[in-house]
Amino acid sequence: MTRITRRDLGRLVLASGAFVSPAAMGQGANPIRIGYAMSLSGGLAANGRSSLLAHKIWQEDVNARGGILGRPVELVFYDDQTNPGTVPALYTKLIDVDKVDIVTSPYATVMIAPSMPVIMQRRMCYVSLFGAGVNEAFKYDRYFSMNVAGDDIKGTYGKGFLEVAFSLPTPPRTLSILAVDNEFAQKAAESVRHLGRQRGLRIVYDRSYPPTTVDFAPTVRAIAATRPDVVFFASYPPDSNGLLRAISELKVTAPILGGGMIGPQIAAVQAQMGPILNNLVNWDVYSPEPTMNFPGVAAFQEKYRARAVAEQVDPLGNYLQPFAYAQMQVVEQSLARVGKIDQAALATDMHANEFKTVVGDIRFSALGEWAEERNLFVQFQGIRDGDLEKYKKPGTKVILYPNNLKSGTLRTPYGAPA
Amino acid sequence: MSATTIPVTAETAGPRNLAFWGGAIGIGVALVVILRLIGNDYGYFAGYFVLQYVVLASAWNILGGYAGYVNFGAAGFMAAGAYTAVALRKATGLDLIPGIVAAAFVSGLLGLGTGYLTLRLRGVFFSIATLCLAVVLQTLIVNWDYVGGSRGAYIVNPLEIPPFASWGEYMFIVMLVLAILTVGIARAVEHSRIGRGLQAIRDNERAAEAVGVPTLRLKLIATTLCGALMGVAGAPLPYYSGYLNPDAAFSLSYAVNAIAMPLIGGAGTWAGPVIGAVLLGTLQQAATVTISSALNLWIVGWMLVIFVALAPRGIMGWFRKRR
Repeated sequence: MTRITRRDLGRLVLASGAFVSPAAMGQGANPIRIGYAMSLSGGLAANGRSSLLAHKIWQEDVNARGGILGRPVELVFYDDQTNPGTVPALYTKLIDVDKVDIVTSPYATVMIAPSMPVIMQRRMCYVSLFGAGVNEAFKYDRYFSMNVAGDDIKGTYGKGFLEVAFSLPTPPRTLSILAVDNEFAQKAAESVRHLGRQRGLRIVYDRSYPPTTVDFAPTVRAIAATRPDVVFFASYPPDSNGLLRAISELKVTAPILGGGMIGPQIAAVQAQMGPILNNLVNWDVYSPEPTMNFPGVAAFQEKYRARAVAEQVDPLGNYLQPFAYAQMQVVEQSLARVGKIDQAALATDMHANEFKTVVGDIRFSALGEWAEERNLFVQFQGIRDGDLEKYKKPGTKVILYPNNLKSGTLRTPYGAPA
Repeated sequence: MSATTIPVTAETAGPRNLAFWGGAIGIGVALVVILRLIGNDYGYFAGYFVLQYVVLASAWNILGGYAGYVNFGAAGFMAAGAYTAVALRKATGLDLIPGIVAAAFVSGLLGLGTGYLTLRLRGVFFSIATLCLAVVLQTLIVNWDYVGGSRGAYIVNPLEIPPFASWGEYMFIVMLVLAILTVGIARAVEHSRIGRGLQAIRDNERAAEAVGVPTLRLKLIATTLCGALMGVAGAPLPYYSGYLNPDAAFSLSYAVNAIAMPLIGGAGTWAGPVIGAVLLGTLQQAATVTISSALNLWIVGWMLVIFVALAPRGIMGWFRKRR
């Protein structure tokens, strides 16, 4: 029998050292670990998956620059399956078991809210993505929101839409409102109702519909029968498609039609709807117009679009994707300024400073929302088919509001040929 | 009578009951001690996830397993419990424990009402009626602004809750107690005259009625008990996640798991839903944090297909065959 000597043992140790896995080397480099849950399956997966791609691009960019504080960045993420019930357990796993250094949020209000109690108990600094008024209930002093809506959704959301409507040569007198029964749409409708009354508009139609609605023809007929000057919809992707198809089939026209429809921002909907979108005035967060050519956004979109088709996500990246990248830029810039992972110091820094991101310069309010709201209202112009190439260039989704980002003039009415 | 019936004599019932309650409390205490020793909150949250399914599956089993009436509306009863807790807190400021009691009462009444309304329905028609109940309830909640409507309701929990180490531990212990009580109730029903009557209904309702089994009364007891316990499973949900909206409360995964877990574990026995819930719940939780994809319902679906094809009496059926 061969005996293992101390020298043999030493050789074995050396030999085993040559086969250390890359993962273990990564551990040795002591990466900064950023953890979050994201909807990679289920109803919110389309936006969740494209946000994840944006985060990966940011991670590669920042690691190529040498990481943060000299440490590489590692993303630790789990699929929340668009099921709010999974979120508390995932965040406790991230913080208590995986021991991540920083946590960021899942996508959308319904997924962010269940994570809040866990985050608050552990006093983590938290940058969220597209949550609408989440912190109104929690009032957590370390919460920061990457969303254009600002603190006062009721007082500001519909302002731009009505500004556009009142820029018509003949000021509008009547308004119709139709909103799906969900958090964001109801807040949007509430804002337009409130601001419309303030401006003296007579509300001739004001209804909600359940998210399961599939046939919109009767509703659209009822709205058309009231002959409103301004038609406001607050809808979600499947409903937005149904509404726009019903409007097109019934040949409904109005001086201003659109509002807070979620769906026309997404490439797949733009391809499906084609010329039906012409002259639609709709809420948005980003458009590739010269007025929004913020530093870094073009480079990000070039990288994103190069990989989007292979990753089977939105091929344009004109909606929340730049905001997902900017969410991580906020974390990066704050960490760089603070110089260490200190949750309290990070929160103080985020409250105190401005952030230069691919979606512009951002400052946070006391409640953690954007200090200045930036709800865009855009108009789809000159669309003759479903080809997506034109959405990569200026002139298709023209910005009408706010004035400092305005890139075109209003065309009216909705329903006129391109 | 069906093969799943366990004859229990008065002489053996006492020691068996003692062994059951002693064992259940022992396992419960051991779980709490182990999780405290591990010392992180993830164990509590993962444990809560599994235990809520123990309650839900055991509740479903009382009507579906013992009486053979398949209830597709588990999510509806569970959501009724969850929203009762939300409404009670908003109206009176009362917290989780009163919320659970109120949820049991409201969901029990709902179960009783369902029982009355569907007395003449059997088989697939009863199942469709329960499914419709969930749809009706969801529409009601979506349009009820007092509990948040479509926007959902927030519940802000205290950051500390002495003498518990954390909110997660508190929620886990509450759900653990509820799970033990629910399994105990399901076991007591199984071994009682009620359970034997329900099994007779499952095997042949007309024959049972002909020999004097009070089918109407037993079905009402079963629907009430089933509804109340499902409501109990749902009451802590808004406190667990801090936010509740209709989509989350009426999630399809609750309805699917409530049926799949007893079927895989062995419907018609009190231990079957427990085994099914622990097995499937743990698998789902493990898949979420390892493979990290939508494999949850995929796993449930495949296991259901495999068990229905190869072991229609579930895991408990294997043991029965071997004996």
